[in-house]
Amino acid sequence: MTQRVLVVDDSPTMVMSLKTALKMNGFDVDTAGNGQEALSKLKAGAKPNLILTDINMPLMGGMELIGKVRAMPEFRFVPILTLTTEGDSAKRDEGKRMGATGWLVKPVSGDDLVRVIRKVLPGA
Amino acid sequence: MATYAGGSLHRLSLGSDRGSASESDVEDRRESRLHRARRRFVGTSLLGTACMVAFLGSLCLVLGEEFYQHWVSILALLTLFVLLPLAIAGSVHWAGARQGIADLGEVGKLTRDQIQAAAAGRNALSSELHASESYIGVMYQQIGDSLNQSEQEVLQVIGGLGALNENAADQRQHIAESMANGRDVTRATEERVNGNKEVIAAIETQLQEQNDELRNSFERIESMALEVGALQPLIKVITTIAQQTSLLALNAEIEAARAGSAGRGFAVVAGEVRKLSVATTKAAADIAGKINTTTARVQKEMTDAHAALANYQSGDELSHLIAGLTEMQNEFCRNSNMLLGVVGELDTNYAESVKQLSQALGHIQFQDVMRQRMEHVQAALVDMQAHLQLLGEKPNDPTWDGHLERTFKDILATHLARYRMERQTATHLASTGGGSAKVGSRPDIELF
Repeated sequence: MTQRVLVVDDSPTMVMSLKTALKMNGFDVDTAGNGQEALSKLKAGAKPNLILTDINMPLMGGMELIGKVRAMPEFRFVPILTLTTEGDSAKRDEGKRMGATGWLVKPVSGDDLVRVIRKVLPGA
Repeated sequence: MATYAGGSLHRLSLGSDRGSASESDVEDRRESRLHRARRRFVGTSLLGTACMVAFLGSLCLVLGEEFYQHWVSILALLTLFVLLPLAIAGSVHWAGARQGIADLGEVGKLTRDQIQAAAAGRNALSSELHASESYIGVMYQQIGDSLNQSEQEVLQVIGGLGALNENAADQRQHIAESMANGRDVTRATEERVNGNKEVIAAIETQLQEQNDELRNSFERIESMALEVGALQPLIKVITTIAQQTSLLALNAEIEAARAGSAGRGFAVVAGEVRKLSVATTKAAADIAGKINTTTARVQKEMTDAHAALANYQSGDELSHLIAGLTEMQNEFCRNSNMLLGVVGELDTNYAESVKQLSQALGHIQFQDVMRQRMEHVQAALVDMQAHLQLLGEKPNDPTWDGHLERTFKDILATHLARYRMERQTATHLASTGGGSAKVGSRPDIELF
């Protein structure tokens, strides 16, 4: 079964490059420009198998999104990977506390990204 | 713009050097005049003291007499010891004062020029600092526009890569479908060829059996023909017997005729016997003729059948046909396998191209990294602009004591705290000589 990934980033180039790379590797991709839009999509019935989110975004950042998603019972165990320029240890630890599954510092090669996604998504 | 700014700074710097030289000169002259004034003051004081001592001495001498009687002498003493020294000191100081006033005027004149120059420099500096707003604004816009442009270009590149991949995927899908069809056709052809081979083999077996049976039939017919041919001598014996019987019957008829009425009955029998022998001879001739005809026909049929059998040795042609079909089938399979190999290679190449495209798309993320770094630079420019505006206003503020609430150093420190990327921090520290940041202390990919 094709796995669906929700990409959340305010940068159009990031959204498009991630969408293209993931589609090339056989994933279905949904996108959102910030945490608020992503949350709306989830509430509207989107069922991603994995969420890949940036941290610093307008309206709602990645940290807040992770917290709100983890509070939704149906998405409690959905893997959430952050893809951000933030390399700070304190931020990473905060992300871990909020419920992120992994922390990826931009730029990440397409190979590595797909490898990590397949690792946290068995069967992908 | 940069040249102009440099020129301004250069001029300001030269002006400052000139100002420093004039100031030193004026200071020397002022010191010299103060020294002279001090000497005059000391001289005047000494003269005044001497005059007072002389006056008081004279007064003591005069006081011994009647005061009112000597008022002329007192007046003369006053004139001698007070008015005259005062006149002398006044004239000396008047000359000094005039010189001082003249010097002061000169000093005032130099200071005014200098102050005007300093004020002009300050105004120019203030104006330049204010003008930095548009300069920094232009730089800010240039960076923003460059980011937008690069973002648009990168989006175009990603779109192109995506379209390229979709085309490749479509072609691959198309080829895969064609190959699936080709594989089905190959399988069907193989099955059909195998079926044909079985049919041909069955036909060949049947024909071989028929051939064998035909040969047996021919052999039997040939044998029968030989047996029929072997009847010919018997026919001859029968004919000879019939002829001898006819002769005997003729003799019997002659003897019966000789016997007269006594041989009449025997003559009838002899006649019948002769008729029978004639019929037998005729029947034997008929049988011989038919045997000859049949034997000749059998011989002809046997000759034709032998020729046909000889021709039928080309039953091998069926074997050739089967061999040809097998070869065709093998060739077809080889070609199919070759095409399948090509498709497999295409799959491998496609997977490799997907890998490379994915890598390229990963590198494109640098655009976002660069954008964020440039946005920091833009924020720094905005802070710099505000600070320069403040610096432009401060010199015109008469209450300003030279203290700044926020310096460039403070602003830099603020930026250092705002960085998100370790590399930004490292670059900042390397540039300011503030040591080195720990880069890569935690891996870029970390699963919790």
